[in-house]
Amino acid sequence: MKSLMVTVETKQLGPLLLDIGIALMRAGASSDKIKFTLLAIAHAYRCEPNLDIGAKSISLTLRSNNDVELFNEIRSTDSYGVNFGIIEAISKLNQTVANNPLSVEQLKDEVNQVIKSSHYPRYLVLTMVSLAGAAFCFTVGGSWIEMGIAFGATCSGLFVKQECTKRRMNAYLCTYLAALAATVVIGLLYKVGLPERLEYAFTTSVLFLIPGVPLINCFTDLLEGEILNGLERGVNALIHVMTIALALTTTLYLFNFQG
Amino acid sequence: MTELFTIIAKAFWCGCAALGFGILFNAPKRALLPVWVAGFVTGLVKFTALHPTFGVGIIGSSFIAALVSASVVVFMASWQKLPPSIVAIPAVIPLIPGIFAYKTMLGAVRLTASLGDDYATILSTTVHTGLKTLFIVLGISLGVAIPIQLFRQRLPLGHRSKIPS
Repeated sequence: MKSLMVTVETKQLGPLLLDIGIALMRAGASSDKIKFTLLAIAHAYRCEPNLDIGAKSISLTLRSNNDVELFNEIRSTDSYGVNFGIIEAISKLNQTVANNPLSVEQLKDEVNQVIKSSHYPRYLVLTMVSLAGAAFCFTVGGSWIEMGIAFGATCSGLFVKQECTKRRMNAYLCTYLAALAATVVIGLLYKVGLPERLEYAFTTSVLFLIPGVPLINCFTDLLEGEILNGLERGVNALIHVMTIALALTTTLYLFNFQG
Repeated sequence: MTELFTIIAKAFWCGCAALGFGILFNAPKRALLPVWVAGFVTGLVKFTALHPTFGVGIIGSSFIAALVSASVVVFMASWQKLPPSIVAIPAVIPLIPGIFAYKTMLGAVRLTASLGDDYATILSTTVHTGLKTLFIVLGISLGVAIPIQLFRQRLPLGHRSKIPS
């Protein structure tokens, strides 16, 4: 009876592992991190997984310790983001499961809680990211006035990005419109005839859009031999960079901005 | 003394920039102090290496800063029981060569104008800044990846045969 219960429970483990994998993928984890986490959790429940991590999908076959196939499915996701809160919480859950296995039902509840976990308040994100824009401006040699302008421009760009994301617009279009919103603020101040040189504010106001996570993950995947995933992430990051450049070019043309 | 103060001030603001990105990426609250510290270390190493005393170029200083920062992060993350990447990535964002990318773009826009006497100068300057941008980004990515790959958790060898029956 006990072995039957274990089988029923382990059968529930397959969909849960895919939920965890997809949550990690959507949160911006590298392929290696996803593989490591799913293998460790499956082993804690005495199952043997065979995994294939694609650019936007995970294929999982799960076998029990007596080599009975329990689960075989592919799941995909259409969107990427960055949410380090989810990566950290699942990493912690992984350690908990390794030290003291929970029932699959308990693990499912914990995972659902992690996925539903909230973000920082919007005003805090806007303020801190704008402060980051101002900080960038200082580090490249901007004055206090330029820092203030970079703060405002970053804030307007991030606000536009949040609104576009909320409306589920194309990710590249979101980046373009956000970069345009940030640089147009600087362009308008340039047209008004502000005596400051606005070059530093102009360049640093779009840095919050740089796809740092896909760029780093691209190299991590390539180093791990996940060539296709690495290339996919690299090309994705490159297109984002090109859309930022396109927005800068648009503003340069619109305002005949000379820096 | 003034130069030292400037380097520390820039490092402080690098920490603030890293913190902003930590919040943007929804890093957990307990990771925010390590993110700020790692950002500060990144700025300190980069601007110290760039100082004429050491004379390291921008590509080398960005690589060294990312390498040192990610190494510090690996130890801080293991102490705080955090995945290293969630601290390392926001910390190296201040190294992104925004100014060079902008100058490359500005140069590319100027190249689309009519052919003038200074066309060759603009072309060579644009290629120069473009390559600098590319190699700085490569340096940052490698600098972060090396310590994380060296010290990352690994599943034990032969784990498949060790599954308890």
